[in-house]
Amino acid sequence: MTVEAEAEAAIPADPHHIPEGADYITHEHGLKSWLTTVDHKRIGVMYLISILLAFFAGGVFALILRTELLTPGKTIMEADTYNEMFTLHGAIMVFLFIIPSIPAALGNFFLPIMIGAKDVAFPKLNLASLYIYWIGAIFTLIAIVAGHIDTGWTFYTPYSMRGDNSAVWMTIGVFILGFSSILTGLNFIATVHKMRSPGMHWRRLPLFIWGIYATAVIQVLATPVLAITLLLLATEKIVGIGIFDPALGGDPVLFQHFFWFYSHPAVYIMILPGMAIVSEVIACFSRRKVFGYMFIAMSSVALALLGFLVWGHHMFVSGQSEYATMVFSALTFLVAIPSGVKIFNWLATLYQGSISLESPMLYSLAFIALFTIGGLTGLFLGTLSTDIHLHDTYFVVAHFHYVMVGGTVFGFLSGLHYWWPKITGRLYDERWARVAFVLVFIGFNVTFFSQFILGSRGMPRRYYSYLDQFQPLHMTSSGGAYIIGVGFVVMAIMFAKSLKSGAKAGRNPWGSAGYEWPHPHNFAEQPVFTRGPYDYHLATERELFTGTDEEWDAHMAKKGEA
Amino acid sequence: MNQFSQLPPQMSTFAPDVDWMYLFLFWLSVASFVAIVAVMVYFVFKYRRRPGVEAVPTGHGNTALELAWTFLPLIVLAFLFHEGFRVYVQESVPPENTVDIHVTGKQWSWEFTHSNGITETNEAKIPVHTPVRLIMSSSDVLHSFFVPDFRIKRDVVPGMYTTLWFEATALSTPERPVRVFCAEYCGALQGSTNGNDRNTNHSTMMADLHIIPQEEYATFLREGGGPPAECADAVDVNVCWGQYIYAHNGCSACHEINGEAGGHGPNWMGVFGEEIALEGGGSVTADDAYIKRSILDPSADVVSGFGNIMPPYRLRDQEIDAVIAFMRSLNAQ
Ligand code: HEC
Ligand SMILES: [Cu+2]
Ligand SMILES: [Cu+2]
Repeated sequence: MTVEAEAEAAIPADPHHIPEGADYITHEHGLKSWLTTVDHKRIGVMYLISILLAFFAGGVFALILRTELLTPGKTIMEADTYNEMFTLHGAIMVFLFIIPSIPAALGNFFLPIMIGAKDVAFPKLNLASLYIYWIGAIFTLIAIVAGHIDTGWTFYTPYSMRGDNSAVWMTIGVFILGFSSILTGLNFIATVHKMRSPGMHWRRLPLFIWGIYATAVIQVLATPVLAITLLLLATEKIVGIGIFDPALGGDPVLFQHFFWFYSHPAVYIMILPGMAIVSEVIACFSRRKVFGYMFIAMSSVALALLGFLVWGHHMFVSGQSEYATMVFSALTFLVAIPSGVKIFNWLATLYQGSISLESPMLYSLAFIALFTIGGLTGLFLGTLSTDIHLHDTYFVVAHFHYVMVGGTVFGFLSGLHYWWPKITGRLYDERWARVAFVLVFIGFNVTFFSQFILGSRGMPRRYYSYLDQFQPLHMTSSGGAYIIGVGFVVMAIMFAKSLKSGAKAGRNPWGSAGYEWPHPHNFAEQPVFTRGPYDYHLATERELFTGTDEEWDAHMAKKGEA
Repeated sequence: MNQFSQLPPQMSTFAPDVDWMYLFLFWLSVASFVAIVAVMVYFVFKYRRRPGVEAVPTGHGNTALELAWTFLPLIVLAFLFHEGFRVYVQESVPPENTVDIHVTGKQWSWEFTHSNGITETNEAKIPVHTPVRLIMSSSDVLHSFFVPDFRIKRDVVPGMYTTLWFEATALSTPERPVRVFCAEYCGALQGSTNGNDRNTNHSTMMADLHIIPQEEYATFLREGGGPPAECADAVDVNVCWGQYIYAHNGCSACHEINGEAGGHGPNWMGVFGEEIALEGGGSVTADDAYIKRSILDPSADVVSGFGNIMPPYRLRDQEIDAVIAFMRSLNAQ
């Protein structure tokens, strides 16, 4: 057998035994069939809808904040309302959107397919994670709104522990969300270890899976620390044992250690999946295996591990010891290495490729540029002398938005555009997708680049009011935010139109060699993988065909005639 | 140089070192970013998809290249760490003979207590060209003492002392004092209607440092602070001083002086000498002793209809007399 024929035989190429119309969306109807499903694809879609709702809510709060900041002093709301708004924005974006975004939504959908599994290892647990996420989300939101919580998403003590018990309720909400995250992580780890099809050895594992896998490890190891912290908070508040509150003999800096011991690794929970998508998309749109595959995979693992050792870089001015500060600064610089390795390898992948610039690729290339800015400005914050000046200013706000939005959100959007046809079975209007991309990209840079300048000039963060001299930059930043808003509206309409009237997608509209494409939904039978997920030179013509099945038949018929 | 760096004026001995590092990082970043994006754009253009041109399979990669871009950046990173740490050590270790000032952060004001026991609120005299050490603590939640012009910052923590030192390199002018900001989020007055006013919430928790000549500071330490310079020609120095305290120590955030209702605290017009109804029943005459007690220990007698939200102010007797004089002058109008 030739390699090609072998590959053909290994993957059941004929999908026609799946009855017409019986895809995962339509094979069962009714809300109940969704709420009781254990199909990883349906669970992924439900996660996707949930996190998009969260993203919408968080985005609306962002626009409200930016509107308030158009003028120093009151523009549309009082100082205390503003403080509640930024708490809502931060908490929703971090806990309800970014952390579950890529792993729980896209990861759930694609992880089993990409390793040739029928489902995740524990499908019922998977559904339970979703329910726990919903419960946690509702709990957290009610607590914040009803309790007028205004502590910011970091809920530092002792501020967060003053007044009534509302902070404890919110804490419990986040605690529940953490459980959802841990269970999803466990499920993914078990799936990757135990459910890979024959031929899917570790060196063939798609980079998306490597990224999700590294993320899952962090989720399982780091999230319990958050849970412990939150329990300690609750204990202090309810029982009155002094742990963090100096009035009771506790230590407020200890809280920061706990908080960042979770929240710095959480940064990698947020960014690794974004990087993982970029690796997939760059390979597909360059028609080339990712350069330095093993180095990219290992850099994810390195980031996951190093991420546990640098939490103290959030506390250089907190009053922690000078020795700790020195060590944390040194370790923080090491994080730059795996990040750089990824960027260099992505660039090397483009070299000698065959590059096309559809919307998923635009988002991924934008990711590289924006993440580079996010990473380089991270050097300013890892360097002790400059961090002292920049810490807790808008420079930090800009830095993490470049990483979290320019990185994770752009990665997520890249993945969403890339896999949209697979998830929905429909194509979208590429022109409008590009218009949305341009708006979001320009708006993003206008919004956040001005914040680097604000921070360098000494404008602290979480400020309701500011000196008159900062107003032009604040207005620029708000203007950018409105542009982003318009971009997302265009994108939402574009996707809605695709759902309603988009053309039917072929199996593999981008012509990718990835395992998830050439079959409608999961593999019909357990596959045996004989080539890597990026081996374009080994993939068959059928696998890479971008049209619909009918077009393929027509294509073959024409070939037959010739 | 500052047109690129966007940094504030350099007012301390640390500022040039910090700015040098900032600029180095700035140009390093610009160079790296331009290089990366240039390579990306070039490849995207050069290897754009064309009919009949296939991608070249990646093959087995290039270990030498991988090792190079893994380990070469370490050299630059080690340099960055070292330089940043060098300046940090200087900032952490104050020299021997510093002038010490105690700082207390509280929602939402700063108190500075000099070695002569005099406390200034939301402003402080600082001698120029002198190493000054701040010994800081908070009486409620976390705050952070941030002086952009000095490039220094340190959290102010309840139940713990943190220190910070600096040496100012130039005198400040009354129009442009060196501004202190709070950089650790510390909340806002609930339902505040004047969020832009000084010292009513985290974003307006500011203080002004007046950098003065060494001799002037020495005189201040010896003889104590009298009325501010602008009151020298006033008809009644005490009333002027009282008004100055009202405006500069944060009283105006809660107290109005126009006789109208509203505000977080009682209006000062027409208070002096009146019978004041207290929360929880009873009443008291607003005499000198009552006013003094109200300032030093506000929770002792809480005026009926108001919450117990006024923080205690450590004003000196002279200053309290000035405030009383100012309050009396409001009655005469
Ligand atoms: C955070 C708001 C706030 C600030 C700032 C504030 N006060 Fe008050 N003050 C109050 C409130 C509320 C009361 C009434 C309740 C009480 O007696 O404690 C009050 C009462 C007083 C009284 C008694 C007045 C009366 O009508 O009986 C005096 C005197 C006074 N304040 C002086 C000052 C001075 C002097 C300053 C500035 C150095 C100042 N306050 C700053 C809120 C404030
Ligand atoms: Cu971090
Ligand atoms: Cu503060």
